[in-house]
Amino acid sequence: MIEVKDLRKEYNDDGVITTALDGVSFKIEKGEFVAIMGPSGSGKSTLMHIMGFLDRPTSGMFKFENRGIEELNDDQLAFVRNNKLGFIFQFFNLLPRTSVFDNVKLPLIYTHISEEEKKERVVKAIESVSLLSRIKNLSNQLSGGEQQRVAIARAIINNPSVIFADEPTGNLDSKSGQQIMEILQDLNEQGHTIILVTHEQYTAEMAKRIIKLRDGKIVSDEEVRERKIAKQGLIK
Amino acid sequence: MKLKDSIRLSFRTLKTNKMRSALTMLGIIIGVGSVILMMSLGNGAQNLIVGQVASMGSNNIYIEPGSPAGSISQQTIDQLGKVNLKIKDAEAIAKDPNVEMVASMIYGNGIASYLGEDKKITFMGVDSNALDISDLSIMVGRGINDDDVNGMSKIVVLGHKLAQDLFGEDDPLGKGVRIKKINLKVVGVLEEKGGQIFQTFDDYAYIPITTAQKLLMGVDYINAILVKAKSEEVIDQVVENARIILREQHDIYNSEGDLTKDDFKVMSQVDMANMLTQITGALTAFLSSIAAIALIVGGIGIMNIMLVSVTERTREIGLRKAVGARNKDIMNQFLLEAITLTLLGGIIGFLGGTFLSFIASIALTSVLQSSWGFTIPLGAVILSFVVATAIGLIFGIYPAKKAAKLNPIEALRHE
Repeated sequence: MIEVKDLRKEYNDDGVITTALDGVSFKIEKGEFVAIMGPSGSGKSTLMHIMGFLDRPTSGMFKFENRGIEELNDDQLAFVRNNKLGFIFQFFNLLPRTSVFDNVKLPLIYTHISEEEKKERVVKAIESVSLLSRIKNLSNQLSGGEQQRVAIARAIINNPSVIFADEPTGNLDSKSGQQIMEILQDLNEQGHTIILVTHEQYTAEMAKRIIKLRDGKIVSDEEVRERKIAKQGLIK
Repeated sequence: MKLKDSIRLSFRTLKTNKMRSALTMLGIIIGVGSVILMMSLGNGAQNLIVGQVASMGSNNIYIEPGSPAGSISQQTIDQLGKVNLKIKDAEAIAKDPNVEMVASMIYGNGIASYLGEDKKITFMGVDSNALDISDLSIMVGRGINDDDVNGMSKIVVLGHKLAQDLFGEDDPLGKGVRIKKINLKVVGVLEEKGGQIFQTFDDYAYIPITTAQKLLMGVDYINAILVKAKSEEVIDQVVENARIILREQHDIYNSEGDLTKDDFKVMSQVDMANMLTQITGALTAFLSSIAAIALIVGGIGIMNIMLVSVTERTREIGLRKAVGARNKDIMNQFLLEAITLTLLGGIIGFLGGTFLSFIASIALTSVLQSSWGFTIPLGAVILSFVVATAIGLIFGIYPAKKAAKLNPIEALRHE
C-alpha cells in the first residue's frame, strides 16, 4: 500500500542545507499499525508529511497505492488527501469558535455528496468517538481529550484507508491519551491502516510495528512483541 | 466547495471579527455613500435646471455679447469687456415678423437705501417689454412703460422680497429709494415669483433701462436681449435671423455662418438647458470622482485586512488543505470574504447615501424655495454595486492568491 525507497529530504534554509531524511526505505501493508519513533529532529514528522502528500521528497521514491506525488496534480492531491487519508495532529487543529459538528464536517465541504448524507456521516463519526452530547458545543469549549476526539472524528469522516496521527497524545494527560489510543486501536481493528508518529516508547508499543529513526536514517524496524492494549487500563 | 457553504463561511468569519469587519467596511460605506450622494444631488440639480429653463417659456431666445467659442471661463472673461450690444440691435431684431416681443436688459449691483436702511441689491435696467417677456406680473402699482424709458424716469419697480426687506409692513408705493446716489420713486411691486436658482427675480429692483444706462452706470451698452418668438416652430428661424441681423449691425462679414467670428451669442432655451446640463453633468462627474477616491482608499483597507487575515489563519489554511481543500477552494474562500465585505459595505453605503440624499433634497427644497426632486439615478445604483464587487475582487485577489499558495506543511507548523 505504501512503498518508500531511498527517500531523501533536504531543507534549504538560506543556503544552509539540513538533511531531514537520509535514504529511508520500507513498505507498509494495508491494515498495519505502525509507530514511527525517534527523538525530535530525527525526521519522523517529515516522513509522515511526505507519506501524507503534504510535502515532496528531495529524491527517492514514495508510492501510495502505486502512485507517486509526481504523478498527481494539485487537484488530484487534494482529492487523495480528502478521500484516502485522515490526519490527527498534536495540537488538534480544530477551527476555533466553530461547533463540533462543523469541525467534523470540514472535509465533507470539499466533496460533492448530498447535504443529508453529510449530516448522517458527521453524526455517525461523532457518535463513534462518544461526543454526541457535545455536538453543538464550540471547539474551544471542549477539553483537550475531547478536542482530539473531534479531530479523530474529522479524520475518519471520509472513511480513509490510512490515518496519520502526529503525536496525538503529546499534548494530553495520560487518561485522555489512553482514550485516544483506544480509539486508534479500535479503528485499526476495523481495518484502517494507522501510522503513528511518537517519541514515547509506551505509546509506540500500542502499535503492531515500530520503525525507529535517528538523524534521518532507520535504526530499527521490528514487530512489537508484547503489544499493549489501551483498553486494559492505564499504562505507566 | 459549494457557493452556499462558502457564503455562509464568509459571513461567519466576518461575524467573529465584528469590529474589524465593520471598520474595514466603513471605507467602502463612505465611498459608495458619497458617490451616491453626489450623483443624486447632481441629478437633482440637473432636473431642477431643466425644469426651470423650460418654465421660463420655451419660445424665448437669449442674446448676450461675447464669442460663442472657447471655454466657459473664457466666455465669462470676454463678456466683461463686451460693450458691443446696443438697444438699437434689439430694435433691429424686433422687425423680424416671426418675433413677438424683444426686451433689452442691463444689470448692475449697488446699495439700495430707504430711511437709513441699506441693502446690497442687483438692479435691472429694463424696457417696457421685459416684465412681460420674463413672465413677471405686477402686484401693486404699475410696471415700466415706454414713457418711463423715453423720459429716463427716476422710478423703480421692486421685486417682491426686496420690497419686504426694505419696507417691511410699510406701503412702498410713492416712497423714495436711493440707488447709486439717485433717488427713485417706487411705482410698483411685483408678484412673488418663487425660488429660481439662477435668477432671483424677487430680489431685483427694476428701473427703466435708459435711467440705468445714463444715470446709474453712465454707459450706452446693454447686457442682454431677450427675444420671444411667435411660436415654437419658428425658433430656429428667429435664432438664425437674429444672427444675420446682428452681423449686419456689427459689420461682421460672415456669410458662411462661422459662429466663432461673431461677437455675440444667440441661445434658445434648449441651448441654455443643454449648456447648463453640461455644466452640472461635468460638476457631478468631478465630485463623484473625488468621492470615488474614498472607494479606492476603502479597497486598500480591504486588502490590508485580508492580508492580516491570511497571516492569522495560516494554520486554518494548512488544515483545510490537509483535509482536501484545493488551492482553488482556498482562493475562492478568501476572495468571497473580501467581496462579502465590499458588497455589504456597498449595500450599507447605498442605503446611507440614499438617506443623506433624501435629507439633502428636503433641506434644498426649503433653502431654494423650489421643489428639489429626490432621485437616485439607476446608473448610480448599478455602479455602486458593480464597483463594490469589483473592488472586492481587485483588492481581494492578491491576499486570496497568497493564501492559496501556502504550503500546507508550512501552514500547519505556523504558530
